[in-house]
Amino acid sequence: MKNWFWLAICLVATGAQAQVDIKKNFVKKSVVVTSFTGGANVSDVLKNDLRLSGSFDIKAAGEPAEYSVSGSADAAGVKCFVTQTATKAVVLGRAYATTGNARATAHIIADDIVQTVTGQRGIAQTKIAFIYSPKRGVKELAVMDYDGFNVRVLTHDGRISGHPRWSPDGRKIAYTSYWKGFPDVLEADLATNQRRVLANFPGVNSGADYSPDGQTIALTLSKDGNPELYTMNAGGGGLRRLTYTKGAESSPTWSPDGQTIAYVSDDRGSPQIYTVNRSGGEPTRLTVSPAYNTEPAWSHPPAGADVKPMLAVTSRVGGNFQVGVYDPGTQAITPKAAEGDCTDPTWAPDGHHLVFAKIHGYQSRLYLLDVRTNEQVELPAIAGESSEPAWGSWH
Amino acid sequence: MRNRFTVQVVALTLIASFSLTGCSWWHKHFGPKTPANQTGGAQPGPLGGGTSVSTDIQPGERPDLNGPMDRTQFAAQVVYFDLDSAKIKSSESSKIEAIATALKGNAKKLVIEGHTDERGTAEYNRALGEKRAAAARDALVAAGVAADRMTTVSFGKDKPVEPLHNAAAWSKNRRAEFVVTGQ
Repeated sequence: MKNWFWLAICLVATGAQAQVDIKKNFVKKSVVVTSFTGGANVSDVLKNDLRLSGSFDIKAAGEPAEYSVSGSADAAGVKCFVTQTATKAVVLGRAYATTGNARATAHIIADDIVQTVTGQRGIAQTKIAFIYSPKRGVKELAVMDYDGFNVRVLTHDGRISGHPRWSPDGRKIAYTSYWKGFPDVLEADLATNQRRVLANFPGVNSGADYSPDGQTIALTLSKDGNPELYTMNAGGGGLRRLTYTKGAESSPTWSPDGQTIAYVSDDRGSPQIYTVNRSGGEPTRLTVSPAYNTEPAWSHPPAGADVKPMLAVTSRVGGNFQVGVYDPGTQAITPKAAEGDCTDPTWAPDGHHLVFAKIHGYQSRLYLLDVRTNEQVELPAIAGESSEPAWGSWH
Repeated sequence: MRNRFTVQVVALTLIASFSLTGCSWWHKHFGPKTPANQTGGAQPGPLGGGTSVSTDIQPGERPDLNGPMDRTQFAAQVVYFDLDSAKIKSSESSKIEAIATALKGNAKKLVIEGHTDERGTAEYNRALGEKRAAAARDALVAAGVAADRMTTVSFGKDKPVEPLHNAAAWSKNRRAEFVVTGQ
């Protein structure tokens, strides 16, 4: 069944006519990064950023490359130059004041290089929230830079936390917490370090996800019998019920235009992905195969991006969990990560990177994947387990 | 001309003052009712520990899970579930009957915990665990236990009893447990 909501959103978002979700003729640009005089830290981080961007083929010194990056760093700041080899044109020449934070400066430079060379906005300054488990039975809320560095464990409750989601302005994180022994939705304010309760009804309160304009939160509540989908005002109150089934609903994710919510329902037996209008009404089923699909994540690429909005899902195929991308035209799911148990994809704001959790040897770690090439990179390991990543937007 | 000008000024002044003060008046008398602030009860501490912030959602009474909880009384009545299922199997129904019988003639309350095995995602498993707890609650209601004596809590896959990673452990982790609270 074609979902006209879905196609309309895709067309509106990109104005594109392409049937394919991912650029099939994507080619990386080759680049060589010479060490920045006085700033090995900056060039190391920068090289990693260019690699993780997925848009560059990093060449060794002396190898031919379409672009070369050079620069210098001193107490005053960092200068960076990007030269196009064929034309010898300096396509980027900029001075950056550094606050002494080499990583942060390198990330700014990397985004400038990605923007200049590819015309697309980079992700090097973005953050990822996730669930950090230092030991069995304890799960805390944590954030880190998109490259896995600067991990900050935000809670020390010694209890279970889950399902973090950023507000679009990056100031708050809604998440599930067993602070009173029950699953409740809390909102943490990162500037003030304060937390407040968003939902603590009887039963399960979980799955909070902010609408793209930050005004509404979709969430899962079972207070009326079994887990159903609701929305509420981000400021509190205004509860509205969206689903009425005998099965369990969970895991809402918002469309880019904020009008439609995709979510999980097992009303027909096993969990599948559905959509419903933000004001409720008749749901539309999206997935039919494989038999078990959960944790939809709807990408929100910027207008003019070279990718359409996509829905990533976690599927179970023959007992193995896989991260895949759903095609509304064929209703098929294309696996993107299937080695080990791969779950819980979250999209970068550029719409072509995913971070997901992979369980390997019963340990959960986070991986970054570029859907244009399917290349995946394990993010730096930290002691303990990492799961349920949530990528923050640009702001 | 003068009159019309005066009328316009007066009208604008009225509209402006209504905008500044009237909106709150309007909402107070006609706007949606917001839930009363919860009085008393602890609030979540700030990130990293310390004092805390408000809730304006009234949750309804919930048992204090830090109070006395008896896990032993119904330890033999843990109800087990098939993979992906929240159905109380007929092989498990005698446990429901035993619990219902034990709850007659007293005022004991139950917290019913729902659990899944470790496979799959944390979030869907949190919902599935709640379905399992709710199914056990509904079975007990059908067996004569008053609904307001029971509270459900789902732990999803986060609190296994069997730590191993095999089918035998998984089958023991797909369960509903019955914890007695209060008298």
